[in-house]
Amino acid sequence: MSTIEVRGLTKRFGTVTAVDGLDFEVDSGSVVGFLGPNGAGKTTTLRVLLGLVAPTAGTATINGHPYASLPDPVRLVGAALEASACHPGRSARNHLRIHALAGGAGPRDINRALDAVGLSDVADRRVGGFSLGMRQRLGLATALLHDPEILILDEPANGLDPEGVRWLRRTLRGLAGEGRTVLVSSHILAEVAQTVDRVIILDRGRLVTQSSLAELAARGRRTVRVRTPESRRLLDALGAREYIDARGVGDWVHVSGATAEEVGLLAARHAIPIFEATTDGADLEDAFLALTNGASGQPIRRGGADQSPEEACR
Amino acid sequence: MSRLVRIELLKLRTTRLTFGLLAIGTALCALDAVLRDARAGNGRLPPLDTAAGLSNGLTVTGFAMLMAWVLGVTMASGEFRHQTATLTYLQAPARSRVLRAKMIASGIVGLAFGAGGAAATTAVSMIFVAARADPISVGSGTIVRYAVGAIVGAALLAALGAALGSVIRGQLGAVIGVLVWALFVESIVGGLFNSIGPFLPFTAATTLAGARLGGGGFGYSGSSTASPLPFLAAGLLVAAMAVAIGAVAAQTTIRRDVT
Repeated sequence: MSTIEVRGLTKRFGTVTAVDGLDFEVDSGSVVGFLGPNGAGKTTTLRVLLGLVAPTAGTATINGHPYASLPDPVRLVGAALEASACHPGRSARNHLRIHALAGGAGPRDINRALDAVGLSDVADRRVGGFSLGMRQRLGLATALLHDPEILILDEPANGLDPEGVRWLRRTLRGLAGEGRTVLVSSHILAEVAQTVDRVIILDRGRLVTQSSLAELAARGRRTVRVRTPESRRLLDALGAREYIDARGVGDWVHVSGATAEEVGLLAARHAIPIFEATTDGADLEDAFLALTNGASGQPIRRGGADQSPEEACR
Repeated sequence: MSRLVRIELLKLRTTRLTFGLLAIGTALCALDAVLRDARAGNGRLPPLDTAAGLSNGLTVTGFAMLMAWVLGVTMASGEFRHQTATLTYLQAPARSRVLRAKMIASGIVGLAFGAGGAAATTAVSMIFVAARADPISVGSGTIVRYAVGAIVGAALLAALGAALGSVIRGQLGAVIGVLVWALFVESIVGGLFNSIGPFLPFTAATTLAGARLGGGGFGYSGSSTASPLPFLAAGLLVAAMAVAIGAVAAQTTIRRDVT
């Protein structure tokens, strides 16, 4: 059963179309990465979903209702949208006390939320003195305060240091383990790849794909690395196949778009000796970038024998 | 609605600005009363042993009302300045209800501002009367009426401020606008057009507390040929302005996207 449903969602700000005919759903109990480069429309979509931004067209519902029509929205949905959305003169505890009052949570819930995000020691300090990472944690504490079934987190890793990112991964894994429905946005797949079941990828306001990580990985281009003393001849032979990208690095030839068997057969046909052949696993990040036309995902031009894959991607 | 009002009251209680403005308003009322009582009987101001002279000191609660007005403005516009509107509207998606709660909560806190101002001016004036061994020339009923007027006036201006702060989201501009309006615009407009003076919001609020048009409180200076509005009419006028501006906010600004 879908907990979150977005149908035909379009949002225009003046002449700018931030979200363009978006359709996706998030099943109950699943943890979904909402991915896309900056400006893809992720935040706008989440804000429409939460009733903060009015859609130009289409619908965005939670449990079949617009957010504003939910009977007790803060107890059902916990949201962390922006780290800076706290009054700088208020303490972290008082920030949570206000949110607690909205959903009927008590002091024990506040302490639990502060503990969960590691802010207990600074709970009575004013938020104005907090780092961005601490504010992110406070935002997450706010989202968790009412122990909601559904969590909507917008770029929660922004501003976190490496330890903070590790903490976030652990936290998201914990939330996933508790069977909550989590929709977490990011522009970096690696931030959420270890946690999410599925990904929804946006680019320029449009849905690029909605799939499992395994399906996404399957879309990634595998690379066959072949060691041969006649790399130039092998490159020439591979160059005749339009769908194959190949480049040489010394004795090695890196081939995309063909399997190791295909490369081996081709080499045998041309009597090219092969000393070693390995297949690299598909790179999720590459697949993501390719889908969103990221810099590294641009179609790779055929390179010469002196050009490494990394150089070709630059 | 009561939960939303309690949330807004908690917001006000948990920022130092509320207490700072309360302290400033009360202190300025006390200072204003000192300046008036000290000069009472010097030729321009009637002596303290007269009802008019004592009332001059008792009724200068305009600064407390002005600070209550500023508080209302800052509590509403601050939601956008500090981006806390996001969380506020997640807690209560019915934005008109949030606006009403803000107006009610700021009105409730405004009561304290009026009480603080009235307590300050009364205390100062009574000290001057005692020091000069003058008789208390104003009845206790009148003193209570002045205090009640200050409390009601400050509450209404605070509510008006919350409505204004929802229309004008730029906090600094809104606060400066209110200060300029109260300190200069009403003085100029009321001075130029005497008949309009009693209907200006700050002047109407100060007359609730017994301030004379063109004399007491913080209204326009100089003599006025007009009479202040009756207590009930002045109160209803300021309340109607708050409701009208709140209705404008409900139909316009608070419906905007929170991005």
